[in-house]
Amino acid sequence: MDEDLIKDNAMQRARAAQYVLSAVGIDFSYENGYKVFEDVNIDVGQNEFVAIVGPSGIGKSTLLRILGGFLKPDKGAVYLFGKQIKRPTPDIILIHQSIVTFPWLTALENVMLSLKVRNVSDEEAEKAARNALETVGLQGFEDLYPKEMSGGMRQRVAIARALAASPLVFLMDEPFAHLDELTAEGLRQDIYNILFSPDTPLKGVVLVSHNLTEVVELADEIYVLNNVPATVVGKVHVDLPRPRNPRSEEFNQILDALYNYLTPPKVRKI
Amino acid sequence: MNEILLITLAALATAGRVLGLILISIVTGWFLAYAAIKGKIFENIYISIIEVFESVPVISFFPIVLIIFVTRIGGPLGVEMAADFLVFTAVVWNIWMGEYQAFKTVPREMLEVAENYQMSFFTKMRRIFIPFSYPRIAANLFPSVSDGFFYITVSEVFSVGVHTYQTFGIGTVLDSLAASDKTGLIYMALLILAFVIIIIILGLREFSRYAVSRYTVDTDAPIIRRGRLNVKQTTRLLSVVARNPLSRLAGYYRSRVMSRPPEVFEKREMRREKISRYSSIAIGFTILGLIIYSSTDLIISVSHNEWNHLFSITPKILLYLLYDYARVGVILALSFVIAIFLGYYLAMHSRAEGIGVPIIQTLSAYPPPIYFPFIFGASFTAIHSVLGPFTDEFYVLALGFVSTFYYIFYSFWMGVKALPSEYFEVMKNLNMGYFRRMRSIILPGTFPYLISGISSTINSAWGGLMIGEYWPDIIPGRNLSVHYGLMKFIDIETNVGNIAMAAWGSFLFGIVVAIYSIIFTRRMMDLARKRYVAEEGVFAA
Ligand SMILES: Nc1ncnc2c1ncn2[C@@H]1O[C@H](COP(=O)(O)OP(=O)(O)OP(=O)(O)O)[C@@H](O)[C@H]1O
Ligand SMILES: [Mg+2]
Repeated sequence: MDEDLIKDNAMQRARAAQYVLSAVGIDFSYENGYKVFEDVNIDVGQNEFVAIVGPSGIGKSTLLRILGGFLKPDKGAVYLFGKQIKRPTPDIILIHQSIVTFPWLTALENVMLSLKVRNVSDEEAEKAARNALETVGLQGFEDLYPKEMSGGMRQRVAIARALAASPLVFLMDEPFAHLDELTAEGLRQDIYNILFSPDTPLKGVVLVSHNLTEVVELADEIYVLNNVPATVVGKVHVDLPRPRNPRSEEFNQILDALYNYLTPPKVRKI
Repeated sequence: MNEILLITLAALATAGRVLGLILISIVTGWFLAYAAIKGKIFENIYISIIEVFESVPVISFFPIVLIIFVTRIGGPLGVEMAADFLVFTAVVWNIWMGEYQAFKTVPREMLEVAENYQMSFFTKMRRIFIPFSYPRIAANLFPSVSDGFFYITVSEVFSVGVHTYQTFGIGTVLDSLAASDKTGLIYMALLILAFVIIIIILGLREFSRYAVSRYTVDTDAPIIRRGRLNVKQTTRLLSVVARNPLSRLAGYYRSRVMSRPPEVFEKREMRREKISRYSSIAIGFTILGLIIYSSTDLIISVSHNEWNHLFSITPKILLYLLYDYARVGVILALSFVIAIFLGYYLAMHSRAEGIGVPIIQTLSAYPPPIYFPFIFGASFTAIHSVLGPFTDEFYVLALGFVSTFYYIFYSFWMGVKALPSEYFEVMKNLNMGYFRRMRSIILPGTFPYLISGISSTINSAWGGLMIGEYWPDIIPGRNLSVHYGLMKFIDIETNVGNIAMAAWGSFLFGIVVAIYSIIFTRRMMDLARKRYVAEEGVFAA
């Protein structure tokens, strides 16, 4: 029995090693007994942009926290290049659903926060932080405090901070939800190129969103979560060339497929 | 048996005094708060008075108490009123402030409903304002109870010159038990008092839990944002806030900042702040002037020669004050360091927190002036053999510490609890070490709370010093006394009946402290409000 388990785990690990990030057989309940997931599996391949969609309250944010090691699954495991994730690490950076900045630090200092963690010298840290700010289009705004910035600029600071940590994986929880549509569209167009530009070590992205158009615009692979407790009810591969045109027929076919997975919603209210 | 009954009655009398005075504060506060939100001028004056008095240690009221209540009114009634007045000044300010904040932050929609129905004053009070103020009252009850117990036990018995004035209560009973050396009964009295205090604390916790779950409107709590907390967590966090004994600031600056609508008001607000600053300085001086005025006959009766003497001794008084500030500094530094380690630890470990916080709450209400002599007696020989001539100084600092540590501890602990959960995730995500977390996130993020904790700590440290710097017969046959210190000076002058000198000393003291608190505390609060509001760091639609 024990040997079987060990063999099972070894096989799981071997399989997971082929992926950047791999979540296998995840079960999770909150302390109050509310069961959020049952047997959820997610794989992120090399340089893959993965999206997770699902109705509100289904557990998308919870899933990201499990992927990042912030929450421990009751069953199953998360692997980063085959190595099990047991606690949060700078290799996997979470960008929150709400925009998180530190009001007592300037934009530059906010970004430097993640560099000092890596034990680099102050000058190097500052240089890298300036680079990251430039990447997100904030050069010239380094010395502003968050309160002096718009929501879109703050989210860029948060993204720059995440970039500066040089993670292998990005977990993004509705990164555009608090931005006005114009700003969101601008960032959306930039984000793919920013993330997979040659000078980031980034190997994979997981994006949570309830905006289906956004997801089809960005993702290579889309997981659909539904039911209570939630499972992966569908997986859609998007093989369209970038930049994608939301008015094209293929695009809308994929959208329709997603809608089909989400309706009728089998969500029981508790 | 009779004596145990007596002790129980005394403990109940003391508790009754504290609770009764708190009740009076609450009821008067409702009406004053209503007047304040209705009239701009009254509001400015009222708030300024509270702010100044909040920052003036209770002991500066001592001479006024002696003069008005003991000398003028006199008799048992005068002594009773003197004790009550001292306690009242200890408990009232934060309750009044809390109620004002509550009234000020009643949602506009509710007020519109009230107008729509043309509610009368009493209906409005009963249905809207008073219920709305419960959570803040609950939050402010803890520090008030602690402060009240601290001062009541020392104000029940005091001596001026050859006279000893006393009024019935646990302080008096303990005093007479100690004088007749009845050790067993003393322990019994301490136990009974502890029991009474635990009951009160448990009751308060229940009340604040109830008040929070029943009377809190969501908009009142900026830390709660849509999509981040579920209802269960919401009440948990709120009860943390409500449980905190020192939310003077939390609420205060919340009412000023959080619910601030568009920037159009900014300018008017700034002018208002300026006006209120000047008026509070003016009022501070007026009140100090009144203290002096109230002792007019004293001043008139003071001869020319004596005045010369008072002035000539002033440099010495200021020097003594410097000594005392140094002591306060040491006490503050020690409290600060311990509060930060312990507070952070408890905030991060929920099981330890569940046990630790109620214990600390009970301890904070248990008045150090009552139990300190026993600690002194038990440890004196050991400490003396180590510290030699510094022994007394050590005990004074220790007394100051136990009188005051809780304030900064609670403020900080509450600040940590109020930090957005996202911050903790970022810290974990970036793998930050302990000191990095402290320096970059926790300390700046709790800065406003720390400032309020620090200013309360400083205020209560004075109370500890007043008692500790000169304590004749702390245990039979031994005095606790420092070499130099303003509190000792005032104590001794009061004790030998030289009221003029004592009043002069506390007058100078009051001025320095008021100026300090207006300039320093306010400046820090402004800074805190400008940049260190962690709740604003998380942007949610
Ligand atoms: N700390 C908690 N304790 C108990 N239940 C929780 C907790 N946090 C979230 N939940 C519950 O878990 C479920 C999933 O929450 P989650 O925040 O992951 O949803 P979501 O899919 O991200 O929703 P949204 O799209 O609105 O952001 C919800 O039903 C929520 O009520
Ligand atoms: Mg979510």
